[in-house]
Amino acid sequence: MIYNWKKIVRYGLPLLTLCVLIEIFAGSILQGNQNVIFKLPILLISFPVINSVGGNIGSILGARLASGLHVGNIRLDIKDKKMHENFITSRLLGLITYAFLAILIYYLASFSNISMDIGLMEFIFILLAVGLILICIVSVVSIITAFLSFRRGLDPDDFVAPIVTTISDTVGIILLFFIVGVVII
Amino acid sequence: MFAKEMLKQSLPLLIFCGIGGIIAGRTLGGMIYLLNDIPGLIVVIPAIIALRGNISTTFGSRLGSAYHLGLIDSKNMWNDELKQNIIGSLILSFLISSIVGILAYITTILFFDLNPNPIKIIIIVIFAGILSSLILTALTIFIIYMVFKRGYDPDNITGPALATFGDIITMFCIFGSAVIIEVLL
Repeated sequence: MIYNWKKIVRYGLPLLTLCVLIEIFAGSILQGNQNVIFKLPILLISFPVINSVGGNIGSILGARLASGLHVGNIRLDIKDKKMHENFITSRLLGLITYAFLAILIYYLASFSNISMDIGLMEFIFILLAVGLILICIVSVVSIITAFLSFRRGLDPDDFVAPIVTTISDTVGIILLFFIVGVVII
Repeated sequence: MFAKEMLKQSLPLLIFCGIGGIIAGRTLGGMIYLLNDIPGLIVVIPAIIALRGNISTTFGSRLGSAYHLGLIDSKNMWNDELKQNIIGSLILSFLISSIVGILAYITTILFFDLNPNPIKIIIIVIFAGILSSLILTALTIFIIYMVFKRGYDPDNITGPALATFGDIITMFCIFGSAVIIEVLL
């Protein structure tokens, strides 16, 4: 038997506690912006979407880098051409996904009688701006985590996904309120 | 050709996860008055979603590794390896949910001029954490069983599937437990 519940708890607890601490910070930003949320409830629908897509793109990039590093066709070099290709494709993926989901969210919200003080174009612009900045930040975090853990002889697969999703949640929420503030006011 | 292949494989999955995010977000949008009535509730939302995602995806990926190691398969599912994993992830859920509840209570008192009911917020989080943990553990076992039976590689399927269903189920569980506790207490 290789699995033991005590080991699972002991290894899981520190990293999860750290993630939860950062996520509580993200939640506090939501609480602090409660007035904005009550004025624009469409933001409540948007933030799980922004976070899930951002975290997924970061995790996909991280997993690809990790495999590339393991196999040896990506080098530990900032100027590596393969890495740049991955970076650009991530942004392209984000652009298409966020634009499509923005339209979907907007029409879902208008069909379900959620009060809307925002135009479709404005909303698409907000989601794309948040999404593209988020993907740039998340990609950099993903690259740094993959490279650092690989250089220290740790398996990037164990670290990239939890770190990237946690940072993406927090940064996504901060960016959303920042961009909404800039566009609306 | 490289970018094209990444787009073709990842885009449908990202859209799928995004739609999961929309359903989760729509549920959150439906909770807007509850969020107003229970101060501190919004603070726990990102943390509890992340907690679920992390615990169930690591559970799924450990079962995937156990499958590759030959410790578990569709004919030999209900063995000690699986039981240890189940106990481990249930205990982790309970512990981390308690930490989330306590942290949320402290944060709301310290940083916002609110006075949440500590018992209420902590019980809501623990109840939601355990409920979603039970449902998602059952779902993971079901998904893993189906994947084994068809001979697919669990690593390619369980992660994204659990992340998407996890968001939705967790949001329903928070909603449900907030309503139940609000009525009871």
